[in-house]
Amino acid sequence: MKDSLFTVVRSLIFVVLALILCALVFQLAGYNAPVTLWAVLDGAFLRSGAIEQSLRWALPLFITAVGVGISFRAGFFNIGAQGQFYVGAISAAFAAEAVKGGPAFLVIPTLLLAGMLGGALWALWPGLLRLRSGTDEVITTLMGNFMAGLLLVYVTSGPLKDPSGSGQQASSRPLDPAYRISDSLGLSPTIIMIAVVVGILMWLLVNRTAFGVLASLAGRNGTMVEWQGARLWKLGLSSFLVSGALAGLAGTIEFMGPNGRIASGFLPAHGFTAILIALVANLSVLGTAVAAVFFGGLASAALYLPIMAGLPSAAIDIINAAIALFITAKSTFIDRVMRLGGPKT
Amino acid sequence: MNEIIISILRSGTPLIYVTLAGVIAQRAGVWNLGLEGLMIIGACATILGIMLTKSVGAAILIAILACVLASVLLWFVIDRLKANPIIAGLGLTGLGIGGTALAVQSIFGSQATVTAPFGIPKLGPAFGSYGVLSVAVAAMPFVVFAMWVVLRRTRFGLRLAACGEHPFAARSVGANPSRMRLAALAIGGVLCAIGGAELAAGSLQFFAQGMTAGRGFMAFAAVIFGAAHPVGATFAALFFAIVGALGIRAQLTFGDRIPHDLLQALPYLATVFGVWLSGKLRGGAKAASSFAELRDQ
Repeated sequence: MKDSLFTVVRSLIFVVLALILCALVFQLAGYNAPVTLWAVLDGAFLRSGAIEQSLRWALPLFITAVGVGISFRAGFFNIGAQGQFYVGAISAAFAAEAVKGGPAFLVIPTLLLAGMLGGALWALWPGLLRLRSGTDEVITTLMGNFMAGLLLVYVTSGPLKDPSGSGQQASSRPLDPAYRISDSLGLSPTIIMIAVVVGILMWLLVNRTAFGVLASLAGRNGTMVEWQGARLWKLGLSSFLVSGALAGLAGTIEFMGPNGRIASGFLPAHGFTAILIALVANLSVLGTAVAAVFFGGLASAALYLPIMAGLPSAAIDIINAAIALFITAKSTFIDRVMRLGGPKT
Repeated sequence: MNEIIISILRSGTPLIYVTLAGVIAQRAGVWNLGLEGLMIIGACATILGIMLTKSVGAAILIAILACVLASVLLWFVIDRLKANPIIAGLGLTGLGIGGTALAVQSIFGSQATVTAPFGIPKLGPAFGSYGVLSVAVAAMPFVVFAMWVVLRRTRFGLRLAACGEHPFAARSVGANPSRMRLAALAIGGVLCAIGGAELAAGSLQFFAQGMTAGRGFMAFAAVIFGAAHPVGATFAALFFAIVGALGIRAQLTFGDRIPHDLLQALPYLATVFGVWLSGKLRGGAKAASSFAELRDQ
């Protein structure tokens, strides 16, 4: 327990270091760094209505990030959350066309399931390739992201194209308002409930089931787990499927909730941010919830920065990127400082 | 026919330079997912440099300096701080894309496209219809050959490969894997700068936000598809450029009847297939990233 507290503190140290680095970059670029960082904080959490906006971004991110954490735990470096997110949204959009006109209490669960299935399918093939042929999952899932992005361009400008749509971004026909699970602000009891259920289920899965324990062990030493009689490929494939299904669910929520349609290249940073959240949280489910609120806040601040600080929303990308650069670092210096009061190992 | 070849060389050359940067990093054992970021830094620095110094040579030097600095930052984070190369590389990419957007905004006060008065010199009328291509295109085959010589025929290149394959063994014969990785990433920085310069100032003369549009990742795919061999990866990059050019051509000729977006996915699909096949042939691919290390912080 104390050890896990230390890892959280050291994650925080790196986040703060990254923020300082960003402040330097902003200052060098000719912006007033304290004002900028204050604007970020204000836009994320302090402004009236900011918390709601932050949660709107945090909940889908949380769902994807928990899934990423599951596959990371099992030792699989599935960086394909973005692709699984897209394919989930695409599947739900197709399902919506298929069951158009049905009663909402049947259609909504069907769409959510379709999205999860789509996301899981997009994680299935890298999982199979990894576990059957040893094909590196970093490459397959990364390539999967690009293929899913192109698939999204194709369906939004082809089969699902909104003929009345104009402008630069191709988008699908809008979802019937009867099936929307939130308004365009994106925070509704349904979405909160889904996120809470996912959180509880995943916490139980990780901490209270044989699967969770075995998967964590397999992530550390797969050979040993196999010797002890666990089926590594079953464990591994399940973790791929769970993470894919959750990313797909998040995509479906974005489709059925705030967006109401899918558009080519929508939310391009979702998967990467979710990976960051999982890493900042050190893969713990509770930590993921906290980190998701933080990064959700950054995402919502991105919309206000141009207005409040005259800074392009790229500033938020820079903050995220700087955190990514440092979050997995293992500084012996920080370790030494933290060990001073900590357990001797 | 000439037109198609010209458009392939135009889109392929920046890709090939960046692919070579990926190859040298890959051989040193670093999966460089920062290529996209380095390339856009190179593109941005070149255009800003031309506007500032009114000289292409000086502008490319500035771009090289910026890219080498960014590469050294990546090296510091993954080698000294023992960060995960894949996450750190993606971070560098984000820093490049966001940082260049911020730089343009802070210098010009808007996010509009920045146009330079001139670009990299062209080959000129002596080359007939190919004269519209820049000198960087003509230099490309020589650079590929030089990379092949360096990586496969010199002591440095072989040691580099040894450091990538088995750092412990390399250390036992006196090579310093950490320093080798630094050298590989720095050389990669130079190549990315040239690739970015060719992208922004070769046939075009402007910088736009996010103008690399995934080319760095495509270069990474070419590295993997070409099994980190300089010539193999070059042909992989060329193949990607051909698919891209044909896709645009198909769209111009057939309109929307051909789903060219799906055609564009072909290189990525080919990469997946190539990695799967090379794993089959070699009997199981090597583990990507010692991810277990990350867990046992």
